[in-house]
Amino acid sequence: MSRRYGVAFLWALAMIGGLWLVLTCVDVHSELADLLPEGTTAPQRLLLTQVRSGIAGRLMLLAIEGGDLEELSELSKQFSERLRGSGHFTLVANGAQGLDPQDRELLFRSRYLLSPQVGPNSFSTESLRQALEQRLDDLRSPLAPLVKQTIPGDPTGEFMMILSAWSRQEGPVKHRGVWVSKDRSKALLFAETKAAGFDADAQAAIQQDVRRMFVSLSGQPSPPRLLMSGPGVFAVEIKQTIEAEAWWLSTAAATLVLLFLYASYRSLTLVLLTLIPLSTGIVAGMLAVQGWSGFIHGITLGFGITLLGVVDDYPIHLFSHLTARSSASAAMDTIWPTMRLGVVTTTIGFASLLLGGFPALIQLGLFATVGILTATLVTRWVLPIFVPNGFLPREVRRGFSSSLERLSEMKLVIPVTVLLACGGLLWSHTPLWETDLASLSPVSDAKKQLDQRLREEMSAPDVRDLLVIEGQTEEDVLQYSEVVMSKLERLRADNVIGGYDLISTYLPSRRMQQERQKSLPERNVVKHNLEQALKGLPFTPGLFTPSLDAIETARTQPLVERKTFEGTALGLKMDSFMHQQPNGWTAVAPLRGVTDRKRLDEIVRGWGLPTIVYLDLKEESNRLMTSYRDRTFAIVVGGLLIITLVLSIGLKSIRVLGPILLPIMSALVVVAAVVNLFGESLSLFHIATFLLVIGLGLDYALFFNRPEGNEEARARTLYGLLVCSTTTILVFGVLASSTIPVLHAIGITAAMGSFCCLLFAGIMAKKELYAAG
Amino acid sequence: MRSASAGICLFIMLASGAQTPVAAAGPEWTVETLLTLLKDQREPSVSFEEATYSSLLTEPLKVRGMLRFTPPATMEKSITEPFHERYLIEGDQVTFESERKRVKRTISLEDYPALRTFVEALRASLTGDAVQLHKVYEVTMNGTRSQWTLLLRPKETTGKSMVDYILLTGSEGRVATIAIRSTDGDRSVMTLLRGAAR
Repeated sequence: MSRRYGVAFLWALAMIGGLWLVLTCVDVHSELADLLPEGTTAPQRLLLTQVRSGIAGRLMLLAIEGGDLEELSELSKQFSERLRGSGHFTLVANGAQGLDPQDRELLFRSRYLLSPQVGPNSFSTESLRQALEQRLDDLRSPLAPLVKQTIPGDPTGEFMMILSAWSRQEGPVKHRGVWVSKDRSKALLFAETKAAGFDADAQAAIQQDVRRMFVSLSGQPSPPRLLMSGPGVFAVEIKQTIEAEAWWLSTAAATLVLLFLYASYRSLTLVLLTLIPLSTGIVAGMLAVQGWSGFIHGITLGFGITLLGVVDDYPIHLFSHLTARSSASAAMDTIWPTMRLGVVTTTIGFASLLLGGFPALIQLGLFATVGILTATLVTRWVLPIFVPNGFLPREVRRGFSSSLERLSEMKLVIPVTVLLACGGLLWSHTPLWETDLASLSPVSDAKKQLDQRLREEMSAPDVRDLLVIEGQTEEDVLQYSEVVMSKLERLRADNVIGGYDLISTYLPSRRMQQERQKSLPERNVVKHNLEQALKGLPFTPGLFTPSLDAIETARTQPLVERKTFEGTALGLKMDSFMHQQPNGWTAVAPLRGVTDRKRLDEIVRGWGLPTIVYLDLKEESNRLMTSYRDRTFAIVVGGLLIITLVLSIGLKSIRVLGPILLPIMSALVVVAAVVNLFGESLSLFHIATFLLVIGLGLDYALFFNRPEGNEEARARTLYGLLVCSTTTILVFGVLASSTIPVLHAIGITAAMGSFCCLLFAGIMAKKELYAAG
Repeated sequence: MRSASAGICLFIMLASGAQTPVAAAGPEWTVETLLTLLKDQREPSVSFEEATYSSLLTEPLKVRGMLRFTPPATMEKSITEPFHERYLIEGDQVTFESERKRVKRTISLEDYPALRTFVEALRASLTGDAVQLHKVYEVTMNGTRSQWTLLLRPKETTGKSMVDYILLTGSEGRVATIAIRSTDGDRSVMTLLRGAAR
């Protein structure tokens, strides 16, 4: 008696300690980036760096619609000012912004270093004459007041050249100086957030602030609407969807299970007792993951708890074997060998997730493994203590088992369904494997379409195509980038790409600047050529003296660097194109309008420049996901082999493996076929769920094949099994109704797998086939 | 094509001719009267000579070309001598085409305040939109019906417009000259030549 209380006391103590730790130490994260793998190949690592913190991810597309064009463009101006002032963004663009005076001054001062047209011939008499005639045209044009002041210092038009090189990429149509959509129904803006696109919490705060700013600007009876899109917006939507669904799904599932348990056994005590192992398992799982990873992801927690619903089966098995004659501990002793075998094999299944290398699945695997083991130990040693003496769940009808026995007469059902399933899979038009990661995205189609539309209208770079340039130093990267620029220019002329945005457009390498400096002639040479060129032109005498001074100064002026622009709007823009990595520098050039990705990839490879990589983010992320799926698949197969080995040792027989393993294998084939029939392709998450199905199936098969003393005991076992599987099907059936593709995949696989396993195991069960233990 | 647009021009001229007596009926000589007159007697295209005086230059630069206006908001300024250059203004869009600079691009009027001031003045004058004119400019009219001047000073005093004033001179419903003076003292004078359409 005292030993019983001792154990109960220890458990209570451990539980209180555990709960205290959970409340104080466990760090629940919700950043999706935390669940991304490290990547094994160089392109994968590049991809993941880009996904985590790249410019593509930080882009926010904004559109204002629902008003007349004048109103919208005015709003766009005010709104962009507010956005710029908010401090959330490194860049806000709506088409209206010219250079700020600081940048303008800096550019003008550095014009002879920065202008792409400065070369050995730029200051010959002929070139100068041509340039001067163009300046006369400028003065005649309606735009004269804009360019007039730069003419004395810049007769060759270098400053205007720099500006036009920058603005060469065609932006959207403008109205009143701001970007508008082609159909003139929206004003368009884009912004680059300081926070990473994947940082859902930061992004959510930014978006909330942006909406608030917009509403405060447009306070009218029927105000224009703000549309937002981009990776950050998606991240927030994904997070919110997951949180909302995880909450209501788990609530719905838990309520259903508790109600069902109560309805099945008509005993509140029983329902409460089943919570003991489950809650202990959850606490232990959380602490294990926290200890291992330093945090637990919200998604791990949500799924993990759902997966741990499996451990509810253990107390139900115990209650099924309670009789009026034996105590709970004694009943536990009799089923323990079977249960132990089921637990060990299920745990092997989940533990194999640890080997996948995919952080999300590692956390899930660890959570499930530790949770299941803990719940088992609690069921074995603690739960019987809490079962009141003489506690007997509801009596089961006598004829119940015989009706189930009839299942075994339907032996043909299994081969027929398996054959049908194989045929269905073979002749199906739906591909077996999912290769498009985008189909797993919980972002709604409407949002995806909006994103696509805004991108097209803004000719914003797709988040898809990037050229990544790596080098030891900044100068290396800039020099490579200059080589790339001439090649990209050719690709654009050939329409392989629609356009690009590259650091070299803004910042030449030191080498390039030095070359330009060397090509600037001495003062008296320029003076002489200029005098020749000016003959017969009506320019005021001595007008161009400032330019003579400027050229002379430029010959020795300090070179322009990224640092020169630090703290200015231009500097921010440059920073977004180029950043320091642990082992060097990387420049990223977003490409627009890529028509033939395969060809582009071949062309870039053909350059023979190993430091320059073309990255198709979509293709690369799909490849990444596929490689993890294959690995997971291999692990599932390996896990099955180990499980078989453990089973044959545990059961001390190979002959009995048939009725235990065959139903499971058949169930998996049928599940795959049914999923396929519904037009879904198998993804990483379906495969991972196969492990769960295997675990459940083993449990059912082992108990189905357990020798029972008498008809009544067998009826209770079968009733217990039916309850277990129904709760599982309920939980995962709820999950299958989720709009999140990943949750849906897990739900449908597990629910159907559980059903098939139960049915097939029932059909193939052989009474008293073996003597366990 | 040519005959079709010539036909349209003729139609517009005929139509405006029919309306002239109505406008002339008003005895009072106000900005509104002038604008109505300008609108009614406007021609679809006028050739012009323009001289630009700049502090950077020792003598004025001269160009010749054609101005066209198609209601409600399309204007075209095409320079034919000494080089070819064309500005087509539709609403807020300006398509700029230059033979010598080998460029064709579309810009927003908003980005070129100097151009915008000019375009708005001309557009308002040609459509008889007194309200718009008063909104953007301080309008002063002098002289008589047979010899008037219309002085427009931009109300936007932020300096963005770079225009000090626009001075139109004319007689009855026809404009003779448009002078634009920029804030730095440079100016251009455009002389419209009647009867040279097409």
